[in-house]
Parts: sequence; structure tokens; C-alpha cells
Amino acid sequence: MTVITSDIAAPPPAGKLLIMWRCLKRDKLALFAAIFLLALAIATIAGPPLIGDLAAKLGLRQRNLAPFSFQHGWVYFLGADTLGRPIIARLVVGAQNTLGIAFVAVLCSMLTGGILGLIAGYSERWYSQVIQRLADIVMSFPSLLLALIVLYTLGPSITNLVIVLACTRMPIYLRTTRAEVLELRERMFVSAAKSMGAGSFRIVLRHIAPLVLPTLLTIAALDFATVILAESSLSFLGLGIQPPDFTWGAMVANGRGYLANAWWISFWPGLVILLTTLSLNLLSSWARTFADPQQRWRLQSLRKTPR
Amino acid sequence: MLSYIGKRASHSVISVIGLLALVFFLTRLTGDPSSLFLPLDSTLEARQAFAKLHGFDQPIHWQFLDYLRDLINLDFGQSVRQNRSAMEIALEAFPQTLKLAFVAMALAFTLALVAGSIAATRPGGLFDRTVSLVSLTGASAPDFWIAIVGILVFAVSFDLLPTSGTGGISYWIMPIFVLALRPFGLLVQVVRGTMLGALSAPYIKTARAKGLHRKEIVFGHALRNSLLPVITVAGDLTAGLVNGAVIVESVFGWPGIGKLMIDAIIQRDFAVVQSTILVTATAIFILNICIDLLYAVLDPRIRY
Amino acid sequence: MGKTSKITIFAAALMASVSGAAYAQDASKAIKIVLPEQPANLEPCGTIITNVGQILSQNVTEALTVIDAKTGLPQPKLATEWNRVDDNTWRIKIRPGVKFQDGKDLTAEAVAFSIKRMAGGTMTCNNMAKFGDRKIEATPVDALTLDVKSDRPEPIMPTLLSVVMVVSPDTPVDKPVNNPVGTGPFKLASFDTQSVALERFDGYWGAKPAIEKASYVWRSESSIRAAMVETGEADLTPSIAIQDAANPETDFAYLNSETTAIRIDTAKPPLNDPRIRKALNLAIDWEGLTQLFGNDVKRASQMVVPGINGHDETLKPWESDPAKAAALVAEAKAAGVPVETEITLIGRNGIYPNGGEAMEAMTAMWQEAGLNVKLTMLDVADWIRYLQKPYPEERGATLLQMQHDNNKGDAAFTIPIFYRSTGQYSTVSDPALDTEVDTALAASGEDRTKAFQTIFAKARNDVVSDIPMYHMIGYTRVGKRLDWRPDITTNSEIPLANIQLKN
Repeated sequence: MTVITSDIAAPPPAGKLLIMWRCLKRDKLALFAAIFLLALAIATIAGPPLIGDLAAKLGLRQRNLAPFSFQHGWVYFLGADTLGRPIIARLVVGAQNTLGIAFVAVLCSMLTGGILGLIAGYSERWYSQVIQRLADIVMSFPSLLLALIVLYTLGPSITNLVIVLACTRMPIYLRTTRAEVLELRERMFVSAAKSMGAGSFRIVLRHIAPLVLPTLLTIAALDFATVILAESSLSFLGLGIQPPDFTWGAMVANGRGYLANAWWISFWPGLVILLTTLSLNLLSSWARTFADPQQRWRLQSLRKTPR
Repeated sequence: MLSYIGKRASHSVISVIGLLALVFFLTRLTGDPSSLFLPLDSTLEARQAFAKLHGFDQPIHWQFLDYLRDLINLDFGQSVRQNRSAMEIALEAFPQTLKLAFVAMALAFTLALVAGSIAATRPGGLFDRTVSLVSLTGASAPDFWIAIVGILVFAVSFDLLPTSGTGGISYWIMPIFVLALRPFGLLVQVVRGTMLGALSAPYIKTARAKGLHRKEIVFGHALRNSLLPVITVAGDLTAGLVNGAVIVESVFGWPGIGKLMIDAIIQRDFAVVQSTILVTATAIFILNICIDLLYAVLDPRIRY
Repeated sequence: MGKTSKITIFAAALMASVSGAAYAQDASKAIKIVLPEQPANLEPCGTIITNVGQILSQNVTEALTVIDAKTGLPQPKLATEWNRVDDNTWRIKIRPGVKFQDGKDLTAEAVAFSIKRMAGGTMTCNNMAKFGDRKIEATPVDALTLDVKSDRPEPIMPTLLSVVMVVSPDTPVDKPVNNPVGTGPFKLASFDTQSVALERFDGYWGAKPAIEKASYVWRSESSIRAAMVETGEADLTPSIAIQDAANPETDFAYLNSETTAIRIDTAKPPLNDPRIRKALNLAIDWEGLTQLFGNDVKRASQMVVPGINGHDETLKPWESDPAKAAALVAEAKAAGVPVETEITLIGRNGIYPNGGEAMEAMTAMWQEAGLNVKLTMLDVADWIRYLQKPYPEERGATLLQMQHDNNKGDAAFTIPIFYRSTGQYSTVSDPALDTEVDTALAASGEDRTKAFQTIFAKARNDVVSDIPMYHMIGYTRVGKRLDWRPDITTNSEIPLANIQLKN
């Protein structure tokens, strides 16, 4: 994922929104992705107050209720899980945890990675070296294994999960930021600011950071999908969030023993994970094309692609 | 070149030692693991004797100094659970993962090059759209979920493939497919992107003007030039492949290093955890050096 | 691009093999068993650990006695007879004409060596855990007679001897081994990271087993193990989950000697009040909870299964009575018991099939009853800290999910651990009860049974330091080639000699 360098030079001004919308309409897949994500966002915010209580309601006499029946009410349309709780309600509540964890983790890793990257890029003192070596350590080792070790040690709580996910993703932001800063600091405007007597802190914060931010945001969008998958994997291995809390990944893990006779328990959460990460990837792929002046015409042109 | 490798090596040694220290203290933070190795109803006396025997009763920093001293003598410790050398166990499992990862990566890389290149020649076309969707789905799919569903469909329902384990070539299909899915999905994106850039570069237009055949242009000129970023990503993904291997190995019962490590972590078999980390980190370091060398071969401008 | 072409060839080979994939058993007298877990090692002194015992016990190594699955009484194995010489001494007659797999003769010396290896303290021996803090010593009397002395009167010595695996005198005394040599009908052929293989030992003293070779592999997912037997990749797998045991032709249920329970920490308020502890038992919707484990499980009223000496068949399990539970809580509250205090239910991931779901369900039921119960699921290593003494200082009011396995025929492997104040899992501290336990342990015959039953009744009715849940059922999938049924000992051993081949 390190290859995604900044294609978006600056956030589009308000007038461009219309062009964006037109381009989005042209790409049906991206449009579906956007609609799905929007619907998901609405369900995540509005759902829990409405049907959140049902997600914890036991129904031991309707365990593994089969899907596609309105007999027990619409919340049971996708079936019930191993304790007879409606899957729809659990998906909605699970969305809150899943997306919440991913969002906070991405935000944390972007902030810390960005700040450390700014320091490592701008300063040439010893701590710059230390930061880089630390990032090397994290990078040189499979993130899932590192996460496993830390979670086994600290215990699998939501806070620890966020910290671990943030730490393992952080080096990507750090390296990207550092690479950009190394290039930016040689530019004319930085020298100008320097000669005008601006302090390092001010230069970094006022002049360099705003230019790095768009790149980081692009990475963050993609990373969001990666973090959702990473969290699911940890939950699958039993080290994610622990009951009674749950995420989509935990729901898949919970139902994996039932795939042969009650496939819906882990099928739906798995499908939702897939659709969410796919939508995120589709949208950011679209955004990259949109932001690339050389490619954007493909989204605007009505003509068939030339041979 | 040699001095470059030397510098990389010294950085890596620092990284690996840092990693080992980090993991050493992290795992020891969980306290004395004796009760995990003994039956649940064993007496407190028995547990204390066991802790003493294996040095778990010592302060952590003493344990670490002991570990470092042994490390210098190339003694990587004994597995408490398996009663044998931890490094021996790690080195037994490592080739299994290497084989799996190599085949999966080679497959993903080749398919991605072909599919990505073809997709880039006609951007927006049907093939391009299909490849995009398939690859993005591959990159987005939770691998554990695909693995279990795969077993149920192909092994149980249709009885085409064995469920799990190792053996003939039929045992390889599902693990490799699951493991290759994600790298394939990501690589196709990269190949397509760089190829799009390369194909609109001036020299391609020149080649086209010279009347070269399209196949020759795509696979001869453009591909060669867009290979560098693809290799960088592939390198990163290969290291990350161990992540997938943990999942794939534990679902398919593949006796590789990923499964070994997760088992060792769960069972608090510290010496094995340390040894697997040492082996994995060293392998990733060698891989990175190889990628740098490959870079130098492919791009004559790069000199170390 | 040489690499590419190689890969193309490989891919083609992969495709080709799909159609012709064949994984038949090579010989008709070889079987494959798939276990849930990789055996850590093959040290014969660790056979009480399920994954070691299921491979070694009765196959590679044998003990002096063996516990009868039905009566719970010790039966002759390498010992032919035994009698008590005095309070602390048992005299054992060794079976003549038995050879170890390395050709050595079984003598009293060899048995004494095995006992010394186990009890001598020169290496860690897991099976010693069954002896608690007893000390034993063995002295040969003549070539085939042996005296076993204990440091206190031991009425059930022959039962205890069923965990002493007799190994060849050439086995190292001071370190664990992975190449056990015993007297069993099978000898170890190979052991690596993927499988264990056993071969029939032709010099075996007993009847010749029908099976010639057995290999063991391991997969953790129950559904995969079940599928392996279904597709013929394997012939037998113990302990599959209830939802996988859907085929009555191949899947057999058996009472597996495990009893599940929740332990109550009686030291911490509000759990120090018996009314609250009774309310915890009454507030559970037992009928609903049973759905999780299937209708074959038996509700438990005590910590040992029927057939174990000391089990009281007349003792009734707690009924579900939410109204009474609420009344008890209200009564306790009126008496000044801090019923709002948070109670932590500590569960263990993967402890038994559907164990996590059961904890979630019970937490919800208790919350319904107005008790402030919070669930924490822990991994084994952290859970053990709460299970065994010394308990964590800062633990607060805790309930602990647990499972107890007693297949050794006598409540002596249960009662002192749970109800004596010194017991490893005990939260009870009552000197009168301690005396009662000690008396029971020293008693024999009818008195012993009676005394154990009295203690179980007391634990159920007055002490209420636990919430007995179920006597669990295990499910085993047995391939169509084999003629074999699981029984109460299946969790600790799978004697290959008992497996017959059909046709």
C-alpha cells in the first residue's frame, strides 16, 4: 500500500462537487459503493437506538433460526444466531463496533505516524534515527503476529485492540510523510520561510503539514478497509473484541462452527465485511482516477474507449 | 554494493535485536507460565518446582541476560512443551511456509502481471472492469472466511479436494488460492496503474509510430518499465504474506511457521516464539536485500 | 522468463490433479485418527493430558491397573493382583512373561524404576498431579512382587496406580522423552510436526489387535475433522461439536466424565451470602440453556458423574425458579447485603463447545434477575490465575467458568480440590468440612461412599460454592470401516486394540 503516492494535490473546491457527482454517476460500481457506504453509515448511526436492544435479547428456543422468513418479525429476516438473537440487529450493532474501532485506529495511526514522520523528515537529530529504526522494527515483521503477541500480553480489550491496530499501521504513514517532507523541505518556499526567521516548528506545522495531509488521507481511506480486515482476522483467532461485545469479525468467528448446518450465522457478517471493504476500495480507486488529470477524462467522456 | 549490503545488514541486526527484546519483555509480562504446562489439578509445590526448573522464577532482566548470553553461544533455548530445541522446531516448520508462500506469490505475481497489463491496454473495457472488480473483491475478502467456505464447498459438498493437511498436489490448491487472493488483488491494481502511466509515455508513442506490434509494445517495453514499482509492492506483500499464512495454516492444518508461532504464543512457549521471530525476521531481511538487488538489475540507473 | 514458464507448468499440474485426486488408505489394516490438538510431546508421564493420553495410553504404554469404564473399579493390567499389607503399604503381583518393546523383561525392578522416575522429583511428571501431595515409594520384594508405600493411609492405591505408565528401564530418569518404550500392543514408529505413527508390536503379551498401523494427525476445527471422517480421509475423530454430530450412523454420543460448573467465590461480598449463591442457581433458565448442549446432556447436581464412587443419584439439580431467586435477592438486600456490587463472570475461550455462548446466555439471565453480572472472556493463561490458588489479590466478586474431569472412579480426585480449605480450586474455608473430607479420604468401602455423598449433599444444599451445570456429552465420529464405540474413558484414551475392522 506504500505505493499510493499523492495524486490529489488539494481537496476539490466546492464548485468541483458537481463534476465529481457527474463522474460518479458515470461509474456504476463506484456509485453503488457510495450508496452502500452511505446506507451503512445511516444504519450505523440510526440503527442502534432503534433495534440495539434486540441484539442482546436471548431466544434460546429459536437458536439458528433460518433466514428469509418474516414469521418472527423483520429483524429475523436474515435469521438468528447461536443464541437466537436476530442477525440484522447484531449486524447493525456490530457495525458500530467494527467501524468505530477501525475509524479510531486509522485516525490514531495517521496522527502519530504523520507527526513522527514530520519529525523524522525535518530533523536530523538522533531521535530521527530512533524513530526510523522503530518503524523498521514494526515494518520488518508481519503485523498480525505482532498484534497477536501484544494482545495476548495486554489482554484483548477495545482500547488495546485500537492501540495494536494503530501501531501496526503507523509506519506506513510515517514513511510516506517522511519521504514527502524530505522533498518539500528543499523547496523554495521553505527556504524563504526560513530566511524570514520562521522557527522549525512553525515551518513544519504551517507550511509542510498541510501539503502532506492529502496524501495521508488517501492512504487512510484504503487503510480503513485493511484495518477492518485485520480486526476481523484477530477476532477470528479469538483475540479481537471479547463477548458480550462483538464485531463483524467476531460474528464470523462465532458462526464458523455452524457453517455446515447454519451457514447464515457467519455468512452475513462475512458478506458485510466483504461489501464494506470492497466499497471502500472501489471508491478510493475511483477517487484516484478522478484525481489524476491524465485519467479523469475516462470518467467524463461519453465516447467509447479508443482502440 | 557490498558496503550497501553491509549497512542494510547492520540496520537489520539492530531491528531484529530490538524486536527480540520487545517480544521477550512483552511475553514475560504475562508472568510465570508454569501452570499452563502442568495439569490443572497440580499442586502449588509442583508449579513452583517447575518454574524454578525453567528459570521462570527469576527477575525478568536476569532472564533476558541469560537469553542474550545463550544467543551469543547460538543456543536458542528449549521448547518447554515439546522437550526439544526451539530453533530446530522453527527450522522444521519454516520451509513449509516458504514453499507455500513462494508458490502463492509466484502465482499471484504472474497472473497479476498478465491480467493487469491486458486490462491497461483497454481501460474501461469489459475485461478491465471485470479484472478490477475481481481483484478488488480478492483484496477485500476476509481470508479466513473464504478458507472455511472453500473447505465446505470443495471438500465436503463436492468432494473434489482434501479438506486439509499436506500431501499430494491436490492438498496445495486451496491454501495457495486463499493465500494468493489478496496479493493478486493488490498487485493487479498496481500493475494496471503503472501500465496505464507507461502506455501513455512518449517512448511508447514512438514505438507505436515505428509500427511495432501491440503485444510487443505492451509486454516488451511498457511492462519492463513498470516492473519496478510492482516489485516493490510485491516485496512488501511477500513479507505480509506471513499474516495470511497464519490464518491459512491454522485453518488448513499446514505445519508451517505461522501456525507454529500462534500455537507457541497461545501456549506461552517462549523459546519457540523467540526462535520463530528470529527466523521470520531474518527471512524478511534476506528478501529485502534480494529485492534491492533485483532493482539494480532491472534499473541500470540505480547504483548502490 | 524461465520462472514464469515453471509456474505455468505447476499451474497446469495443479489443474490436472483436481480430477484425479485420490486419497485412499494405503492398507486395509491401517487407520488414521484425527485429534483436536497436536500432542505437545510423547512423554509417558503426561498421559493424563488428553492429547498425549489418547495416543499413548493402552497403546504404547500400559499401567499396572486400568479403571473399568462401567464400575469405576481398578482392573488388572500389568499387575495381576494386589492386597493391602498394612495401612500404608500395598503389595502388587506383576504379570509374568511381559516384554517391553525394546526386548527387556517386565520385572518388579522395572516397575519400581517407573514409579521412581515419576515420583522421584528429578523431572516434571504431569501424572503425579493425580497423587496430590502424597509421597510414594516402591520396593521390589522378589522378581515379580512389589511393595508400594505411601506416606499416609491410601485406600485407593490400585486406582492411583492406573496413572503410573510403566516404561522400559532404559528410559532416561532425569529428562522427558519423545520416544516412549512401553509394554503396549503398539510401538512408536515416527513422530514429527504433522503426524504420529504407531505400529503393531508383535511381542505383545495379550491378544493380537486387528489393526496393524495407526497414524494420528490433528486439526483444531471440529467441522473439518468431521468432514475428514465423512470423506474417508480419516477413520475416527474424538470430540466433535454437537452441531457437527448430525449423522446417527457415524456419530456417537458418550458421557465423557466432564462436569461443567460455575465456581462462586464465597469470600467476596455479595457472594459471601448464601442467599445470593442460591439465587444464582435459581435464576438460570436451565431448560433454555440445555438447548446449547443438546438433549443428551445430563443436568448436574454435583461435580462427579454417575459411576464414580461418591456420586449421589438422589441429589436433585437446582430447578429454574426466577421468582424465588428474586425473593432471595430482595431478602438479602433487606438484610444489608450489597447486592448491587458488580460480579464478574470469568469465562474461558474454547473451554468446551458452545462454552462462550453459555456464558453470554447466563450473564443475560442473571442481569434479568437483577444481579449486576458482567462477563469477561479470558484466554487459558489468564483464566488459570483465577482458577488456581493463590488467587489474584484484586479480584473482587468473581464467578468462574470451569470444567472438571474425573474418570478415575473415585471422588477423592474431586472433593479435596473443591471443598477442602487447602484445595487448589477451593473458595471454601470451613474447618469442620475439612475434617469431614479428611475422614472420608481415609475411609474405605461403604463408609467411603457414604461420606463422599454426605459432602456432596452439603455442598449442594448448604455451602453452595458452585453452580453445577451439566454432565457433558462428547460426540465422536467413527468411520464406516471401524467397529468401535466411545465410552467414558475416550477423553483420556483410545485403545487401538479395542477397535475392530468391519468385513
